Amino acid sequence: MAAPRTTTPAPGVPAAGLRRAVVVGGNRIPFARAGGPYVRASNLDMLGAALDGLVARFGLAGERIGEVAAGAVLKHSKDFNLAREAVLGSPLSPETPAYDLQQACATGLETVVGLSNKIRLGQIESGIAGGVDSTSDAPIVVSDALRRILLDMSRAKTPQQRVATAMRIRPRHLAPSAPTTGEPRTGLSMGEHQALTTAAWKITREAQDEIALASHHNLAAAYEAGFFDDLLTPYRGLTRDANLRADTSLEKLGSLKPVFGKSLDTPPTMTAGNSTPLSDGASTVLLASDAWAAERGLPVLATVVDAEAGAVDFVHGRDGLLMAGAHAVPRLLARNGLTLQDFDLYEIHEAFAATVLCNLAAWESDEFCRERLGLPGALGSIDRSRLNVHGSSLAAGHPFAATGGRIVATLAKALAAKGPGSRGLISVCAAGGHGVVAILEAA
Amino acid sequence: MRAPRRVVELAAMPPLARTYVKGLSTSAVAMMAPRRPVGPDEVPAVDLLVRDVAADVERLTAYQHLVGEPAGDLLPAGFVHVLAFPLQTALMIRQDFPLPLLGMVHLANRVEQRRPVPLGSLLDVQVGARDLRAHRAGTTVDLVGEVRVDGETVWTGVSTYLARGVRLAGGTAPAAERRAAWTPPTPTGEWRLPADVGRRYAAVSGDRNPIHTSSLAAKAFGFPRTIAHGMYTAARALADVGPAARGEAYRWDVEFAAPVLIPGTAAVRVSPGEHGHEFVAWNARKGKKHLEGRVTPLG
Repeated sequence: MAAPRTTTPAPGVPAAGLRRAVVVGGNRIPFARAGGPYVRASNLDMLGAALDGLVARFGLAGERIGEVAAGAVLKHSKDFNLAREAVLGSPLSPETPAYDLQQACATGLETVVGLSNKIRLGQIESGIAGGVDSTSDAPIVVSDALRRILLDMSRAKTPQQRVATAMRIRPRHLAPSAPTTGEPRTGLSMGEHQALTTAAWKITREAQDEIALASHHNLAAAYEAGFFDDLLTPYRGLTRDANLRADTSLEKLGSLKPVFGKSLDTPPTMTAGNSTPLSDGASTVLLASDAWAAERGLPVLATVVDAEAGAVDFVHGRDGLLMAGAHAVPRLLARNGLTLQDFDLYEIHEAFAATVLCNLAAWESDEFCRERLGLPGALGSIDRSRLNVHGSSLAAGHPFAATGGRIVATLAKALAAKGPGSRGLISVCAAGGHGVVAILEAA
Repeated sequence: MRAPRRVVELAAMPPLARTYVKGLSTSAVAMMAPRRPVGPDEVPAVDLLVRDVAADVERLTAYQHLVGEPAGDLLPAGFVHVLAFPLQTALMIRQDFPLPLLGMVHLANRVEQRRPVPLGSLLDVQVGARDLRAHRAGTTVDLVGEVRVDGETVWTGVSTYLARGVRLAGGTAPAAERRAAWTPPTPTGEWRLPADVGRRYAAVSGDRNPIHTSSLAAKAFGFPRTIAHGMYTAARALADVGPAARGEAYRWDVEFAAPVLIPGTAAVRVSPGEHGHEFVAWNARKGKKHLEGRVTPLG
């Protein structure tokens, strides 16, 4: 038998000898609240708008991009080729291939990871990662019973059979089912799941409201400073994220009534102010090899260094639904020889303010780090002044699959501004007990 | 002296619909008649056997979808119970069965799934009644089932039922255990049971006991409205434990405390325990337990 020609790097060691994948830039449309200005816009419409802006910003008209990857969480079955249809409706070369991806709220970040890996392997020179979601134009489906009858009707061979099948329809079959944020295996909504975790980690209402306040103030300051000028294209009259409340205060946030965790023994702490609203929006990120960017005179903001996906057993209560990042980050750190404190910026997706705080508390807990992560001790705390410094989902809104692209473009630009070698950590939690985490470094 | 136990082989599974009509009428008669105490040896000394029972694929799929099992080609332990159920009923409507079928309360169920049972297997299903015991509220009986494939026992099940108000002659019920105050644990999930779940489980299981499908019938038996099949809730708990945690061979024990009214919601906790996974479902508003049990891998 011939000896294998290639050597596989030992597990847990970053692959050596690969070239870099860099973030050139990003473009998104402002995020709207559900039922707002994008109420009639479809996922394809919004992804197209974000893509058009990216093409215009980087002069990509007619360009054959290596591959486009994008996805949506709430997806119509007709959108099975959402990313490819967005390409065909854009000024990009129609010879640009595309694929759809779906990993709940981690969709956007995972498209960046997948395309970066292809670039690092030399399979493609350029890639556009993206994500979009509309809760306003969400797919509504007929009940399973009605669907079975309609499918049986379509298979009927004679008009008589068709009529006989149609006679099986009952009024109770006609109630439509809209998508929910409920976990199929537990029946609990994401908010109720987070409420369990919030209570388990004893996160206070005040701490959550402070995270929400910082998110709004940081996002407002970033807009004021013009930070988003080259990251965003206005759409349908919206020039800023509609959920942003620049003038919010701890008093205002403190006056809101709790909405999740009301049936638990502990007082409920999660409100509409410290939870993300249902949102509409889209984002894109342009990724490339150094050579491809240099040939076109394009900037390189940051390198996509490495990424890790995690998942937890929330079904049996072993971990909270949104705690996979707490497990994935230490694995990513170990592989890259880094500590939790080796970062200049942290982007922890604010699904809920409490999600951020629970993950931080887990890393600060000696017990959790020893017993659950198998580490010698706690990972420790982070410098909070480096966390979500340009605002996050609580202020910007959270169109599920669009959040990853928003975070990657924002962080890449911020790292480039900090200077070479500065490093950023991303953690995005997702339905199904998922989490995807990544390291970016200023190029 | 007890007569030796005899095995009566039936040509096919008795159709449940007709069985229920018969059960209904004999039970109605029994309910009118003055209650006489039942003798401890009065269970029929007969096991019923049907050979070469095959699962219907459409019914299997409907069952798997309803209880949340992955729709693979292995029969869930609860589905094997469903396949054996007509023989339980056939035994309980026999003239020589001492307890009335209707109004019988399912107290507990113990199943051993010893080997995976693939779809297409021909099952020899045998069921017998055993062990009349005095209970503080009446008399209990065990319906014991055994399923064999090619002569090898792949599944055993013991369903304990209570006939309320029927006294066991010479029997003394164990004193009611003083129930320690029960504090509901932190839930891991929630079951939302729609109004039609009784009808749907009746359709896939054949258990058309009207207390699960008609609120009138449920009221006649003292419930405020229709109640979910106990084995439906137990099957959901088994599905919640999931294939990774239970393995291919496992014990599945459940004790029913109070029925779940439908439509309704139950809080659930399914979590790793000492020897496997434990589950408990309860009414979150009243803090009252519906059922609890455990799934233990057989090693």
